[in-house]
Amino acid sequence: MQTTLSPSTPQAKTAKTASRLQGFWHVFRKNRTGLIGLGMLATILFTAIFAPVIAPYDSSSTSSAGISDIYNPPSAEHWLGTDDAGQDVFSNFIFGARVSLTVGFFAAFISIIIGGVFGLVAGFFGGRWENFLMRFTDIFLVIPDLPLMVVIVALTKPSLLNIIFVIGLLGWTTTARVVRSQTLAVKSKKFVLRARAIGAGKGHIVTRHILPLVMPILVVQAVLVVSLAILNESALSFLGLGDPTALSWGQMLNYAFGRGAMSTGAWWALVVPGFGIVWVVLGLTLLGQGLEKVLNPRLETHHLMPGRSPVQNEADLDVPGKGALLEVQNLSINYVNDGQPPARAVENISFTLKEGELVGLVGESGCGKTTLMLALLRLLPAAGQIVNGNVFFGGKDLVSLSDDELNDIRWSGISIIFQGAMNALNPVRPVDEQISEVIIKHLPSFPKERMQGRVIELLELVGIAADHKDHYPHQYSGGMRQRAMIAMALACNPQVVIADEPTTALDVMIQAQILELLDSLRKKLGLAVIFVTHDLGVVAEMCDRVLVMYGGVIAEYASVDVIYNDPKHPYTQELLKAFPDLTKPKKKLSSIPGYPPRLEALPAGCRFAPRCPSVFDRCHTEQPALHILADEHKVSCHLVEALK
Amino acid sequence: MSADNFLEVRGLKKDFDVGSPTLFSRAPRNLHAVDGVDFTLHRSEVIALVGESGCGKSTLALLLMGLEDPTDGKVILEGRDITHLNDHERKDLRRKIQMVFQDPYESLNPTQTIEEIVTEPLAVHGITNSAERDDRVKKAMEDAGLKPAEIYLKRYPHELSGGQRQRVVIAAALVLEPEIILADEPVSMLDVSIRAEIINLLAELRITRQIAVIFITHDLGSVGFFADRVAVMYLGRIVEIGTMLEVLEKPQHPYTKALLSVIPVPNPRLRRERIILQGETPNPIDIPSGCRFHPRCPVAFAACKVSDPPMVTISRTHQAACLLLVK
Repeated sequence: MQTTLSPSTPQAKTAKTASRLQGFWHVFRKNRTGLIGLGMLATILFTAIFAPVIAPYDSSSTSSAGISDIYNPPSAEHWLGTDDAGQDVFSNFIFGARVSLTVGFFAAFISIIIGGVFGLVAGFFGGRWENFLMRFTDIFLVIPDLPLMVVIVALTKPSLLNIIFVIGLLGWTTTARVVRSQTLAVKSKKFVLRARAIGAGKGHIVTRHILPLVMPILVVQAVLVVSLAILNESALSFLGLGDPTALSWGQMLNYAFGRGAMSTGAWWALVVPGFGIVWVVLGLTLLGQGLEKVLNPRLETHHLMPGRSPVQNEADLDVPGKGALLEVQNLSINYVNDGQPPARAVENISFTLKEGELVGLVGESGCGKTTLMLALLRLLPAAGQIVNGNVFFGGKDLVSLSDDELNDIRWSGISIIFQGAMNALNPVRPVDEQISEVIIKHLPSFPKERMQGRVIELLELVGIAADHKDHYPHQYSGGMRQRAMIAMALACNPQVVIADEPTTALDVMIQAQILELLDSLRKKLGLAVIFVTHDLGVVAEMCDRVLVMYGGVIAEYASVDVIYNDPKHPYTQELLKAFPDLTKPKKKLSSIPGYPPRLEALPAGCRFAPRCPSVFDRCHTEQPALHILADEHKVSCHLVEALK
Repeated sequence: MSADNFLEVRGLKKDFDVGSPTLFSRAPRNLHAVDGVDFTLHRSEVIALVGESGCGKSTLALLLMGLEDPTDGKVILEGRDITHLNDHERKDLRRKIQMVFQDPYESLNPTQTIEEIVTEPLAVHGITNSAERDDRVKKAMEDAGLKPAEIYLKRYPHELSGGQRQRVVIAAALVLEPEIILADEPVSMLDVSIRAEIINLLAELRITRQIAVIFITHDLGSVGFFADRVAVMYLGRIVEIGTMLEVLEKPQHPYTKALLSVIPVPNPRLRRERIILQGETPNPIDIPSGCRFHPRCPVAFAACKVSDPPMVTISRTHQAACLLLVK
C-alpha cells in the first residue's frame, strides 16, 4: 500500500499532462468538425514544411523564364500554370504557404501573449489596473486595424519581421477581453478564496488556479487569432505592402492582380493563392469550433428523450382504478452511452397519486429521484430511455404519447417546480414576462387582455406583492424566486405539481414559509403534489404517503405514519437515525457509512447491501422482491419475508 | 480578560460601500454586514454561529480569516491583536486558522488531483521536505476519513461524492495543523445522510487534535450534538449567546424561539406550533430603528421601535438582547 507522494516532481507533472491530453483526444476524435479542421490544417502544414521536396520547381527559378512562359495555362509541365514572371504557380503556392503560415503563427503568438497578459492582469487585479488596461483595449478596438496596419507598414520597411510585429501588436484586443472575462469568472470561484485562506500569494493563485482554467479558452482563441493574422497578412500583401523577398499568398494575388491576370484570363494565378487562404482559414475555424465544443461541453444542444413505442399488448395493461390521478406502473429507465452497457437508473417503480394528495419521494442524491420525475413528462436528455412501464394520467399512457400530445399535458396537466430557482429563471427577463410566456406557450387561446390580471393573481397566490411583478430575478431574494417558480408551475392550472427539492438551498425559516405555502395551495386548489427531497424531516409534517428510493429502486413505500414510526427497511431506519433530534441534543448523530451505488457498478444482490447494518449472505446474491406487508405498505428487503 | 480566552472578538464591524456611482454623483451608502460583534472562543471549544442568510455570518468568517478588513473592532488571538497584519504576518497566522467552505463542489479546483490539493498548503508555506510532507498529507487525509489515503491521491474532485469532497477540503485545512477551524455552512449542500458524518468528523477533530471550531450555519438543528456554545446572529449582531443546552432548551430571544420552532422534526405525530416569521431578513443597508428585529418580531411592543435593547445577562454564560428581558 505504501506509495510515496510526489506531486511536484517533473515526471509526475508530465504524466499528468499526458493523461489529460489523452483524455482530451479521446473526446476530440469524436468531433467531426474539429477533425476535418485539424486534417485541413495538417495537410497545409505538411506541405509548407516539406515544400522543397514537394514543389516541382525551385521558388526562384525565374532566370530561365522567357516571354512565352508568362501566364501559361495549366499543363503537364506546370500543373497549375505559370504566373506573370513565368514561374510555376503550384510551386509558388507551396512556398507561399510557408510565408503565410509563418506570419500567421508568429503574429498570433505575439497577440496571444499580449492579450493573455493584459486579460489576466486586468481580470485578476481589478481596480486601477483593470480600468487602465481595459480602456487601453477599448481604444485599440475602435481603431480600424487594417488602415492602421497599412500606415505603419508603409512607414516602416516592409520586411517580414515588421509585418509580423504590426499584425501581432494590433491583433490582441479580443483575446484580452475573452481572457479577462474568463479570469473574472474563475476568480470568483470558491477554490480561489480557499487558496487565499491557505495563505497562497497572488503568483501562486494565478499560475496554479487561474491559468489552468483560462488555458482552454486561450487555446480556442489562439486558433482564431492565427486565422485572423493570416487574413491580415494577405490583405497587406495584396495591397502591395508585403515583403518583396518573401512571396506569400497575398503577394501572389497582388502580382497577379496588378500584372494583368484578369485581363489575360489567367484565372489560375488568382484562384490558387485564394484557395490557399480559404483552405487555411476554414480549417482553423472548423478546428476552433471543434475545440470549443470539446473544451466547453455546455454548448452541446440537448435533445429530449424519445417516447416508447405503444404498449405491446393492450390486454396486459392494468388500467388504473378510480381515484388515482396519476399512476406509475413498473417504470424502468436506462441511460445509454455508446459502447457501454446501459446504466439502470430507475427500475420497476410503481406508485399512485390521488387527487389532492401529497406524496414524498425521498432518497439521497443519485438515487434516481430526479430521473424518475423528469421521465414522467419525458424531459430527460436523449440518453435516458424508458425501457419498461407505463405512466397513466387522465386515461392516457404518457409513455407512448407523441411529443405533441405530451406537450398538451406538460404544464397544463402536470407541472414542475425546479430545483435551484436562480438557475431555472431567466436572469435577463422580468418575472411577469416569464410567467405570461408559460401561459402563452401552453394555453395559446388564453385572452391577451386578461394576461396581466392572471399574472398578478398568480403572484399574489404565492405571496408576492403585485408591485414586484416586473422585477428581474436578481432583484428577488432566494425565497421570492422560489415563490415565483411556484407561480410559474401553477400558471396553467395543473392537477399535479412535481416539486423537485424546492427548499434545498434555502434557510430554515424560508423553507418553513415555502412548505406552508405549498400546503395551503394544495388545500386551496386541490392540487396533488409529488414532493422530491433528500430530507425526511421536511416531508414529515405534510405528506400523506412517502416513497423511499435507493439506487433506483423502491426501498419502502407507506403512509407517512408508518414510515416514521414503524419503518421496516433498514435504509429508512438509518435515514431517520441520521436526523439530529432536538429533544435529545447530546445524542451522537449516526450516519450511513459509505455512499450510494454508482449506476454503472450496481451490486449484484440488494442495492443497499454494501451499506446495510443488517446484511446477510443472501442480500449479496439475490435482489429482494417488493413485498406487500399491509395495505399500501411495500418493502423490498429479504428481512420482511418473515413478517408476512 | 482571562488567559482562557483563546480568541477574542471585540466590537467587530464591517461596512461595505454599495453606493452606486453614476457619471456625475456618487451617493455613499453603507451596507452594515457585521455591526458590532463580541464573543470569545476557548481552546478546543466548538461555538456555533447561527442565523439566516444576510445576517452577516459569512462576512464575519471572512473577517476572522483576514480575507476582509474590518471597518472597526478587534480580533485578538492569544493576547495578540491580529486585526490588521501585513501579508507576511498574516501568512504565518493562516497556519493557525483554517477554513472549510460551504460548497464542496466549488471549493476544489477541478484541474488538480486530490494529492495536489492537500499538498498545496504545505508548498505555500515552504514545507518541501518530502518525507515530512508525505507524512502530513497522509495523516491529514486519514484524520479526515479518507482512508487509505493512497486510493484517493490520484483522483480528481469530480470522481468523488459530495461528502468525500468535503473531507478533502477538511484534509487540506488539517494539513497545516491549525488550532482553529472556521466551518462556513460545511454541511448545508450535502445530503442529510452525509451531514452527520461530516459533523461527527469535526467533533472528533476537536478531541483528537484539540482544534477549536467556529461552526457557521443557518440550521439550529445541526448544532445540537457537538456545539459547546451557540450564538444566534440577526442583521450583523449576536442577539443571543449561551451554552448549547441553554439556547436549545431555554431560548430567550423571540428570534431564537422562532428559529427553533421551524426545525423539521422527522415525526408526523409531533406536529408542533411553528412560529413562521414573515418576510426575510431586511436589507442591511437600512437597519430598522430600535430593536433591529422588531419588524418581524411576533411579540414586539411600542418601545421596540425606539430603543435598541442591550445584552441582558440571563446566567453567567447566557445573554440575550431583548427588551422583554429588561426589568
